[in-house]
Order: sequence, then C-alpha cells, then structure tokens
Amino acid sequence: MPADTASQGPATAATGITGATGVIHDLGYRRYEGQRLGRAQIVRALAWHSLRSAFGIGRGVKAKIVPLVTFGIMCLPAVINAAAVALSSSHARIIPYDTYVSAIRVLVMTVFIAAQAPELVSRDLRSHVLPLYFARPVRRADYPLAKLAAFVLACLIMIEIPELLLYLGTVLQAHGVSDIWAQTRALTPGLLVGLMWAVVLAAIGIALASFSGRRAYATGSIAIFFFLTWTLAKLLSHIAARTGQAAALKPGPVGAGNHAHLIFASHPIPAGVHLAGLISPFTTLDGVRQWLGGTSAGIIPDPGGYGTAYGIMLLVFLGAAVGALIARYRKVGVA
Amino acid sequence: MTAYASVRAADPAGQTAPGIVIETTALTKRYPGQVIALDELTVSVAAGVTGLVGANGAGKSTFIKILLGLLAPTKGRASVLGHDCQRDGERIRSLTGYMPEHDCLLPDVTATEFVTHLGRISGLPPTAAKERAAESLRHVGLYEERYRQIGTYSTGMKQRVKLAQALVGDPRLLLLDEPTIGLDPAGRAAMLELIGRIGADFGISIVVASHLLGELEQICDHIVAIDGGKLLRADTITSFTQASQVLVIEVEDGAGKLLAELTRRGLEPKPQDRAVLVRLAGEETYDEVRDAVAELGLPLNRMERRRHRIEELFRDPPAEPAGHPAEPAGHPAEPAGHPAEPAGHPAEPAGPPGQSAETTGAADAR
Repeated sequence: MPADTASQGPATAATGITGATGVIHDLGYRRYEGQRLGRAQIVRALAWHSLRSAFGIGRGVKAKIVPLVTFGIMCLPAVINAAAVALSSSHARIIPYDTYVSAIRVLVMTVFIAAQAPELVSRDLRSHVLPLYFARPVRRADYPLAKLAAFVLACLIMIEIPELLLYLGTVLQAHGVSDIWAQTRALTPGLLVGLMWAVVLAAIGIALASFSGRRAYATGSIAIFFFLTWTLAKLLSHIAARTGQAAALKPGPVGAGNHAHLIFASHPIPAGVHLAGLISPFTTLDGVRQWLGGTSAGIIPDPGGYGTAYGIMLLVFLGAAVGALIARYRKVGVA
Repeated sequence: MTAYASVRAADPAGQTAPGIVIETTALTKRYPGQVIALDELTVSVAAGVTGLVGANGAGKSTFIKILLGLLAPTKGRASVLGHDCQRDGERIRSLTGYMPEHDCLLPDVTATEFVTHLGRISGLPPTAAKERAAESLRHVGLYEERYRQIGTYSTGMKQRVKLAQALVGDPRLLLLDEPTIGLDPAGRAAMLELIGRIGADFGISIVVASHLLGELEQICDHIVAIDGGKLLRADTITSFTQASQVLVIEVEDGAGKLLAELTRRGLEPKPQDRAVLVRLAGEETYDEVRDAVAELGLPLNRMERRRHRIEELFRDPPAEPAGHPAEPAGHPAEPAGHPAEPAGHPAEPAGPPGQSAETTGAADAR
C-alpha cells in the first residue's frame, strides 16, 4: 500500500465522483516526495516566524498596536531632527548617533520588550506547544536560540531604523561629499551601540519571559526588572554623588550645586557613582559605550577607570540571560 | 507471527529486521527518587497499527519520549525505523509524527496557520507546508472550519488538529498518545475510525497508546501491554481478544447446579456473585451453555459476552512475556476477585456485536 500510493502521482491518485453539482475529488493520501529542509533552515523558519510575531504580523490588529506605537515614538526624535536640520541655517544635526535620545530609548525599549518578548515565548509555554516543537527534527537549544535571534532582530529594527532616519534626515541637507562622509563615520559607532543594546536587552527580555506562561506575569517581571534596576542605579548614583559632594566640599570651597550632574562637572566623581551604574542593563550599556570611546554625554558619567567593570558586567548580563534561557528550555516541555 | 519474532539483528549499527518499526532491548528509565518508569522492556513492534496499552502511569508516555529521542534511557537501547534513539533522534523525529496526550494547541490562530507553521518546523518548504497542511486537515475531516481560530473548536476538532499536525510532515510512523482522551463515545468512534483508516490506507505505521484495550481492539493489528514499566504481553490482536473474552451467564436459581453441569462439560466455569463466568472459546461455547441450561431447565436471565478489564489481563501474564503468541494468557480471570480499580475504566463504547456499552458498564460495576 505505501509503495502504491508513493508511486502514484497526484493526477492518478484522484478518483472522481461525479455529482449533480460537480465533481468531488477524493485525492487519497499522497506521500511527500519533495525537498526536506535541514535543521539550520528549520531554525531560520522558526526565527522568521517569531520575528513577524514580535511586530504582530500575521496576528490581529490588537497585536500590532504596541509595536507600532513604540516604533513611532522611537522615530520621533529622528523626524524632529530632520525638520530642525532642514529649517536651521547651519543644517547641523541636533541628536548624537551614539546615544540617540537616551531617555526615549530606555523608555521605549522597556515597553517594547515587556510587551513583545512574552509574545514570542510565553504563548507557547502557556498552550504547551513545546512538545510539538521538540518532537520535530530540531535540537533542544534550537528553539530558545531561534526565539532569541528573532527578538534581537526585532530590537535591532526598533533601534537602528530610527538611527538610519536620523542619518538620512541629516545627510539630505549635507553640503558636499565630505559632510556626508563625516556623517557616515559618526553613524557607524552609533549603529554598533544599537547592536549592543539589541543583543543584551533582547536576551534579558526573552530569558525573563521564558519563565512564565502567563503573559501578564512575563510582561510584569520584565517591566519591573528594567524599571527597578534603572531607578535603583539612578538613586544610588545620586546618593553616592551627594556623599561625594560633602567630601569634596571639605578640602576646597569650590562652588557646588545641588544637582548631581553639576557635581560631575566640577569634582572628581566618587567611585560609588560609577559602581551604581552597574546595576541596570541600560546604564551598563551606556558605561560600555563611553568606555569604548563614545563621547556624547550619556545617562551616566564617563566610567573612566571603571570601564572594564562595565565591560565585564555587560558580559555577565548577557551570559546570565542566555544561560538561564538555555537552562530553562532544557527542562521545560518534554511534556 | 514473524512480526514478533524476538530474533534480533546482531548488527550494533541499529539495523533491524525488515518490517520492524520499533525495537527495544532491556530499556530502562529510572527517574530521580527511584521511580522506575520502564523496567527492562524488550519488545519489537512490527509495521502496521500497534496498540500500546497500559494503565495510567504504566510508562507509556515515557516510552514514547524515549522513542522520539527526547529522553535518554537509564539503561538499554531503543531504535525506531532502524535508527538509534539516542544517537539519531533528529532523524527519527523527521520520520515520525507525534500527537501528545495533553492539549498543545494555540487558541488564537487558525488550524491552517498552526499546522502550516508546524509543517515548516517538520522541514517542509513554505509552499509544501501550506499544501500539506491543507491536505492533512482535510484527511482528518476539517474543511471550512480550518480557517477558524482553534480556540473556537470542540474537543473533537482539537483532537483532529493534533492529529493533523502529526501527519503534516508525511511521517513513516505516528506515535499517538491517548488520541481519544476527552472525547464522547461518538467522537471516540470517529477518531478510532480515522486512525484505522490512516493505518490501513495511508501506509503509515502507527503506535497508539491507550489505557482502553477495547478501543485498541477495533483498530490494531498488534497489542503491546505494559504495566509498571514492564512488558506484559506483545501479541496479535486476535490472541488478545480470544484470551480476554468471557461469557457471563445469569440464571434465576440454581447457579450451583449450572456450575456443576458446565464443569461436567469441561468448560471450567467460575462463579461470580449470582452469575457464572465461562471462557469464550468460540461459537461452540454458546451452544454448550445453551444446552446445559436447557438440560437443567433453568430460567436464563442473562447471557452476554464481555471482556476482561485491562487490569485483569495484567494479572495474568503469560509464561513468556517477550512476545510468542502461542499461549494466550489463558484462563478467564475472576473479575469478582478484582474489585473495581480506582482508575475505573469507563465503558468501552464500541464493543463487539451483542455487547452494548451499558451492559459492559453494568458488569464492570459489580
């Protein structure tokens, strides 16, 4: 029987039943003799599917709201820059490439990741779909890695497209080739910083989301993690700055303001201010940016000699997230 | 019975005799905490439809997971379609379709989208995945409904989607874990018919795990019975049903006399409450009983065929568990001696002719 059906083409397998209204074809079972994709291509297909779902493509209208709104907000500074460049006489860019607008980036990425990372992993956990994946020709780690790759790409789109819009808006008003060249050279580190953000934040987001099948819990834990660490880093650096200010006031009567950033400008920065930045992924990313040579004023002061610590901390964040993710899927889903 | 020949190819590379889809040797799985899920299980499963029967917790699901290469055995080895389960898990999974016992569907996508996506994960290119998803859904009997979100489906339709996703990659072997779970009698019958058709017409070997022997009898060529992770019997379905059929006779009065008369006729009757049980060897058993009752002039209240419950089968293991069909497990067990198990098997809805689900249930309830 299998040999029979296998040898029959679609046409010969069809047996027509002629009815009053037309012909009903009972095609019978047909073997699949076509191409079969390898593991790498399967993983790519899964990643592509996941990338689409990160933006609600292939889902209902509701699933597209958050990605669209966050993306729109993220692009706003680039649009404003384009307008400013076009209207001003100097045609000078008003937003740096390497930091973009830090506050908007932090806010938008937190919302985007908290809302969309669960879309990629929590749904499958909730509905116990994983046994269906693992019963297919992929390996255990393929699923989380495909999800991670897809979400890194999604975050890249969120960060780099506004970067490119910023570049375009500026370059369109550029005077000559040398100006364009200067803009391009300035853009490159900006894109690399964006890549760093995308990889680290996506990994943390997917890892946190993979621990809960309930979307609300997953979203909550991501939002709380990002906001809490961010607030804590800010708070501790302020406290450290104040103690530093008190200490700095003793030896010399240098006029010091009440605000931390004024102190940064006028005093050697206390170590605590630097170390506080290691708590949050956002401040860590910004510290690494400055350590690697980023010059624009960021969300934390230049870590200076503590740059290495920021580099290490970034790897710790990334390693912990990826490790937790892989470990999670080693256990879950054998049904 | 060559299908169950326990002759094993000596080649360690995983070469198995033709026609054998699954082969295990001393397969053992011990979970942490000394829980033994599989205990030295050695079995060969031939092509065709095979029932894997066992009470809940007998080790059926563990067995399937090892076959798929998702779980490493503590000891022993297993091969599927000639591939070693530990080394060639990916290859096995590309040739095998798996339908899990539990709910595993996304509620907010359509069946078409769901099955197409899983077809892609089975290794089909985009267009082929779409075509085969549509075909698989048609084969399981989902037509226009397939464009609706799965969340709106009935349990029966959901089970069909689960089956369709197992079928989408054109597997050589289907592993179905309790495919009729949660279905009403009509749904069960339809699902069984569907599985039977896939096995017979599609040329796909199937292993159906179930705790209901009565269900499996209708569609399986072979039965593998396990209990507590151990192999009880591996046999053809006919020897199983023969061994498992009993005639229940109830007379108004004089069960004792009937017992004596049947013994005289060499039928080895057993008393149970007010009824008398006789092993059903064939049509002639009916005649013997009829004659005996007529001779004694007893008013016959009831005479019906009924099957052993699975637990009863299990308490009566054959002398040689590794699969020679020769000796059917034998004696009609004494159901009276085995009070209803807590797992209480529901009535088997589609019993053989002359036996309705209700009477089976009534008999079981005793």
